[in-house]
Amino acid sequence: MARYLFTRAWQSALTLLLSTIVVFVGVRALPGDPALALAGEDRSPEALAAIRQHYGLDQPLPVQFAQYVERMAQGDFGVSIRTGTPVSSMLTTALPVTVELSVLAILIAAALGVGAGVLAAVRRGRPAEWFANGLALIGLSVPHFWLGLLAILYLSVATGLFPASGFVPILEDPVDNLHHIILPAVILGTGLAAIIMRQTRSAMLDSLSSDYVRTAKAKGLRPRAVITRHALRNSLIVVVTVVGLQLGGLISGAVVTEQIFGLPGFGKMTIDAVFQRDYPVIQAVVLLTAAAYIVINLLVDLLYSVIDPRIRVTGEPA
Amino acid sequence: MTNLSPRETNLPRRRVLRAAVAAAAVVCAVVACSPVSDNGGGDPSGGDQSAGQDSFGTPADPAAVKQGGKLVIALSAEPDALDPTLSRSLYSRYVFQAMCQKLYDVDEQAQVVPQLATALPTTSDDGRTVTIPLRSGVRFADGTVFDSAAVKATLQRHLTNARSARKSELGPIDGIDTPDPQTVVLRLKQPFAPLVGALADRAGMIMSAQALQSLGDDFASAPVCVGPFKFAKRVPQNSIEVVRDPNYYDASKVHLDTISWRILTDASIRAANLRSGDAQVADSVSTQDVASLRQDAAVSVLQSQSLGYQGMTINVGNVDGIGTAPKPINRPLAQNAKVRQAFEHAIDRKALVDAVFNGLHAAACSPISPASTFSSPEAQTCPAHDPAKAKQLLAEAGVQTPYTVTMLASNTPDTLRLAQALQSMVKDGGFDLKINPVEYSSLLDEQDRGNFELLQLGWSGRIDPDANITNFVGTGASQNVAGYSNPQLDTLLTQARQAGDIEQRRKLYGQAVTLLQQDDALIYLYRQRNLTAVSKQIQGLQVYPDGVIRAAFAGFGK
Repeated sequence: MARYLFTRAWQSALTLLLSTIVVFVGVRALPGDPALALAGEDRSPEALAAIRQHYGLDQPLPVQFAQYVERMAQGDFGVSIRTGTPVSSMLTTALPVTVELSVLAILIAAALGVGAGVLAAVRRGRPAEWFANGLALIGLSVPHFWLGLLAILYLSVATGLFPASGFVPILEDPVDNLHHIILPAVILGTGLAAIIMRQTRSAMLDSLSSDYVRTAKAKGLRPRAVITRHALRNSLIVVVTVVGLQLGGLISGAVVTEQIFGLPGFGKMTIDAVFQRDYPVIQAVVLLTAAAYIVINLLVDLLYSVIDPRIRVTGEPA
Repeated sequence: MTNLSPRETNLPRRRVLRAAVAAAAVVCAVVACSPVSDNGGGDPSGGDQSAGQDSFGTPADPAAVKQGGKLVIALSAEPDALDPTLSRSLYSRYVFQAMCQKLYDVDEQAQVVPQLATALPTTSDDGRTVTIPLRSGVRFADGTVFDSAAVKATLQRHLTNARSARKSELGPIDGIDTPDPQTVVLRLKQPFAPLVGALADRAGMIMSAQALQSLGDDFASAPVCVGPFKFAKRVPQNSIEVVRDPNYYDASKVHLDTISWRILTDASIRAANLRSGDAQVADSVSTQDVASLRQDAAVSVLQSQSLGYQGMTINVGNVDGIGTAPKPINRPLAQNAKVRQAFEHAIDRKALVDAVFNGLHAAACSPISPASTFSSPEAQTCPAHDPAKAKQLLAEAGVQTPYTVTMLASNTPDTLRLAQALQSMVKDGGFDLKINPVEYSSLLDEQDRGNFELLQLGWSGRIDPDANITNFVGTGASQNVAGYSNPQLDTLLTQARQAGDIEQRRKLYGQAVTLLQQDDALIYLYRQRNLTAVSKQIQGLQVYPDGVIRAAFAGFGK
């Protein structure tokens, strides 16, 4: 286990370093100039030169990269070119929002997806399955932004049940926080819920037709216990893998959802930073996202052994 | 040709008409022309107006407004640094309006009026000494006293900070004297008429000397000025909040407790927030949404004609990038003014504005808004839509038709609709217009590098016409992206900058517009109306021609 973790740790560090280089070069390869974006309408050559000098953009690229890596090693993400705010403080504000939104979306998606998947498998060929399949099809096909707009139109504008935008930190007012974030989380979770439902359904169908389930039934176990303790537990391994793999989709979905609902999270920060060519912010966001990806994939791998004790993680190459 | 705005009607009418007729004769001798159609600048009432009419909102009636409450304004873009010295974004001005008052302000007629000053400045006979009397008994949000020393500290910072966006706006200031706490004297190297207009914008926002000393370049993290509200918090890329300032000198006019600007970049989301009641005000409403918002009994739409313009820049000499000497470009459009004039004659501005913007914006043929004090009949002259004339000019220039021109434009839906309408319109005049849509940051980059033939962009506008003209068309000027140079025009613009007399400046700018239309390196298309949707719960919210949403003295109706 320790060896496995060590191997994964250095692989992760290498991946992060490569991501750093790719992001650094990538953002600078974009057409456009952050000094121009910041200068706005008042773009005199002197003003542009002063902006470039202030943010070190007038330095050769290798020098900029060295300075960037040096600062990163000290935990300094730099200062936003657009707002002049330290990127670390922007991340401190944005990260909890996106984490809360994503965790809530995963929980909602897992609850809906697993529930509907089990129902569809157990009631195969009956209206419940058709209904669940229909919902999954809608969840997969309808884009987040459209669903979000519909939700705002019907649940905010028409009925006033939920706020159309805004965010209240959880520590400030937990109830109001939930009131603001539940709708975006449901919207964000729909796609994932549909994927989980389909995976759970097919995994459950496999499990339900397997020998150990037949044995459990033959032992006289109650159907409920057969489903939850035997069939579902073995199906969950697929669900965990799917959640891990869908993380990318969740993050890109969060970008859109946060933009629609005006949530001050990572996604909104990324979009604005890209449009304004705010290099320090883009670099920090992409790097942290890469780090989150690596950590979550590691957690997923570790979870396998918890769910299925037959799976053991080792440091040996596969 | 007698298309006079209300401002002009205050002048001796016979004199204006004589000048108009003379100017018309000169201009029409050069290009076929007709007056620009515009109904703007007229009605400062608070109710909804039909398309093409201004509606600035009315001040709040104190008896009809509740005390307290939080006003949420849905903003289409994020303000940049909340530091009057460094700020370069139009949207920062919305926030500053509530918390950073200026020496001068503008009224709904686009006239400069005193704010932290007590009267308009007095200028010496040689135009080089400007004296500004200041209010007494005023305190900054941190409790320190507002006086001439604070004004001097702010102006010196504007002039000396390496990243200052105000230095060029303030012009040739040689020294600042403070003979007493209520008087500031600015000494200039040369007369500089646009100074008062600059002091009615961010250059005139006075910052607390104590806060400047303690925060330095981080002033934007906790800005302190004189204003009805003071800075409370900012969540980057999401919201900015200000709260009522008990130190404000005219506190009885303030009704709200808090104003929050929430950044919602999508126009339909802003409209949805307004309808759901999560926001009470939404800026930059799309012209496509105005009709449906007008049908909503709970919402009114304010519209004020911008002092800026939208136009098309033709690259006539920007080869090596902005700031370098113009060089010849081997393209008929760049070389021959007749080809550019032909392009202008191929455009029907009125039809364009009606088709693309439902008639909400106003056709424009010059950088001077009809609402400006400096407008004149010459400044509002407009080359007529005449496709036959366009073809004739192309033939005279020896250009084969259809003549292909590629236009770089931003990839926003509104701009693309405009570009497509132009494309079909100029076909009749012998042009084949290709559209090259790019994202905004790339557009700026390409523009400054000179990588374009024709480019569509605009300018939000300032009170003084110098700030709307000289930087864009003066030889070697900081934003002359066309690479255009006309020494005769430069002379006129310098004279207008140094002239102390309004009538003289008006005449000089009229002549400048005539030259601009002859050379046509920048073809002015239309003037936007700032469209702001406001919940009818709110009273006293106003938007003037400077485009700034004035929310500081608004309140919730009883």
